Amino acid sequence: MLNLLLLAALAADTTSHPAAAPQEGPAVTVHRQPALPLVALRLSLLADDPRGFAGAGHLMQHLHLPNMEEQAARVGGRVQASRTSDALVYTVTGPASELGYLAGVLRSALGVPRPAQAQMLVALNALSEERAAERETAASYVRAALRQGIFPQELPAAGTPASAARLESAPLDALWGEMYSPERVSVVAVGNVDAREVARALRSLPAAGEARLPETPADTAPALAADTPQASRAWIGWGVAAPEADAAALSVAARLVRSRLRRAMPNSTVEVEHWWTHRGHALAIVAATTGARAAAARRSVAGALAGTATALDDAAVRDAAAGVRRDLLFYSRTPERMAEVLGAFADRGDGGDAAQRFFAALDAVTVDSVRAALEGARGGTPVTVSVAPQRLVPN
Amino acid sequence: MRALVLALAAALACAPSFAQDRILVRSEPGTPVVTVEVLLAAGPADEPEGEEGVAYLAARSVVAPILPLFDSLGARLRVEGRKDAVSMTLTAAPDAWDEATRILLVALFRDPLEASAVTRQRAALVAELTARETSPADALEREVDAAVWGRGHPWGRPAVGTAASVGRIQPAAVETFLRRAFSQERAVIAVVGPVERADVDARVLAFLEPGPLRGGEVPPPTRGDTAVHTEYNAITAWVAASYRFGADADVESIRMLGRLVLDQVGFGPSRRSVYDQGVEVVRHAGGGELRIHLVVPPREAEAWGTRMREALAGYAAAPVSEAAFTERARRFRGRRLLELDSPEARADALARGALVGERGDPLAAVQRVTAERLHAAARSLDTPVMVYLGPFEKERE
Repeated sequence: MLNLLLLAALAADTTSHPAAAPQEGPAVTVHRQPALPLVALRLSLLADDPRGFAGAGHLMQHLHLPNMEEQAARVGGRVQASRTSDALVYTVTGPASELGYLAGVLRSALGVPRPAQAQMLVALNALSEERAAERETAASYVRAALRQGIFPQELPAAGTPASAARLESAPLDALWGEMYSPERVSVVAVGNVDAREVARALRSLPAAGEARLPETPADTAPALAADTPQASRAWIGWGVAAPEADAAALSVAARLVRSRLRRAMPNSTVEVEHWWTHRGHALAIVAATTGARAAAARRSVAGALAGTATALDDAAVRDAAAGVRRDLLFYSRTPERMAEVLGAFADRGDGGDAAQRFFAALDAVTVDSVRAALEGARGGTPVTVSVAPQRLVPN
Repeated sequence: MRALVLALAAALACAPSFAQDRILVRSEPGTPVVTVEVLLAAGPADEPEGEEGVAYLAARSVVAPILPLFDSLGARLRVEGRKDAVSMTLTAAPDAWDEATRILLVALFRDPLEASAVTRQRAALVAELTARETSPADALEREVDAAVWGRGHPWGRPAVGTAASVGRIQPAAVETFLRRAFSQERAVIAVVGPVERADVDARVLAFLEPGPLRGGEVPPPTRGDTAVHTEYNAITAWVAASYRFGADADVESIRMLGRLVLDQVGFGPSRRSVYDQGVEVVRHAGGGELRIHLVVPPREAEAWGTRMREALAGYAAAPVSEAAFTERARRFRGRRLLELDSPEARADALARGALVGERGDPLAAVQRVTAERLHAAARSLDTPVMVYLGPFEKERE
């Protein structure tokens, strides 16, 4: 009964339309919220950056975004662009009565941008700042370093210094030609709209371009080891790939590990995250503590999976599963966020109803499945990252 | 006999109807959480002298012991102190909202107060207010409040008190205030989410005594100057205009007007010296205020104050053309709907509507603005109270 209630809350009236022929439009998933005169349209293009041109997708987003924001503002709407591990994502939110107009704003992101030189410089500069920001402070640096260790094939969304140099002169139509194809586009709509209306509004996406890059040089991963990010506390990163993981069990396991570490380290900041992309699953622990406690914290973090696995019981697993579900529901409380959650699940390659299936799977998580997830993760080779605290000099 | 049955039925229907009037429900299938907004009509006007901030401290002290229970239910609670009411916003999953609501209402109306919770919350609040009082935005709000309502008026001071006043409040004073002001007949409750009216009544009605809403009255302002200049040690100047309006005002039109004025005087390619800006409509029983503010270079403060007034006066002088209105209304409606995109925002709008005596769906109100109504709203606004905050003396030197 509980599961039914929660499923109804997340996915009442959620319908998926598989992709039709390219000229007929993308795959569409609609979560209907009839009492809200709003719609959030989330478009994702499943694409990696071309080899040697890391950051190409995000560069396109920076080039398109100002124009999209200007267009959306005319109807009081809002645009967001993000580069996830799986896709280039654009979300437009505005009045449901403006569905056709908002769909047009989204469609404008699927063409090759034609920037003036100044616009190109602004976009390249924005990428450069994002690259620097990721390595500037300990919290983001630790995650970047863990990601590089766990998924070495995944480069930063904002690219690398070497790829940025190539992007300055790369032909945009060829870059876009390598990434875009209408078959790779899918759309999630949340709000007072129905699937047919959305499909109609997004019919006839632009055709794929024929231009291709003449050569695709090798990627060079950024060297993070020499960085000294800002840190006033000792930061500890610990992560491990969990290739065969049961996603729901791993999410519950991450929550249980977090609870255990927070109890053990009450004066520290602890996050335990389940990373899930089309490349696979991973468990990442990021902790910050005072310099004096750093050694003890490292021991606690290193032993957290084993300790959690030996202390599992039914009630704790049930509570943790309910916690994961409720956190997801809370996060999804606006149409924009709901579209983000439904779309992120779909982008990993599991179809438009992947979020509902994950919800159902949470109900089936048991002590045994959590233990199996933890043991599976413990079987991998962990990646560790440390950042020492810097001494603050008083003014 | 039939007449007697009918009379009894009518009496029974009337008794709880007063309480039901204070429960608002917006049923939203597809919204993944339930938000419960509890507004308690208690604020500075109810606070004894020397205990400024006791209403907000009382609210925080009451809920502090139940926060671990909310954590275990995955529910979130936010407490805010405003001039006319203390607001408690509870958001929970559909399978946990009734339990979380019961815990909140029991804590509010039935549980005894824990003195240790008051002591801890007082210390936390003093630290928060000490930090907040150094912010120029907070200083501007204090100055505008004092200018609009008068320095001796309860609404002329911060709704949550000051670090100094809160630091003096004893647990016994909080206990006394709670018994006097946190009563069921002062409560308005709005529920938004995938719930039905009957479910809400079944869970909430037992906590509300029958009877009309009490509290929330606004003592008349003791206003003096229409322009206040306050010296403030900063490198920028803050300029605010406050337009008061009455109970019969067309609030959505005034809201749109505020946006249009800001579009005209806010930051833009030809207005690069505007560093920050804001507009808000504050409602209370009997009317409200439109507040617009800009952050600008100190030597330009007066000029920007004049531009703000002139921009609004332009909308009062002549109606905008139908074409221009259509374009601007399209943008305004979208922005306003986005402001209400979370269940918390919708629950708050619903509950505040009931508190100030205005019923109706806040999302539907957005559609009612027309060019004529906009013009009429601009004409209805009187001379604003202007507040200038900045390093004016230093600039003159």
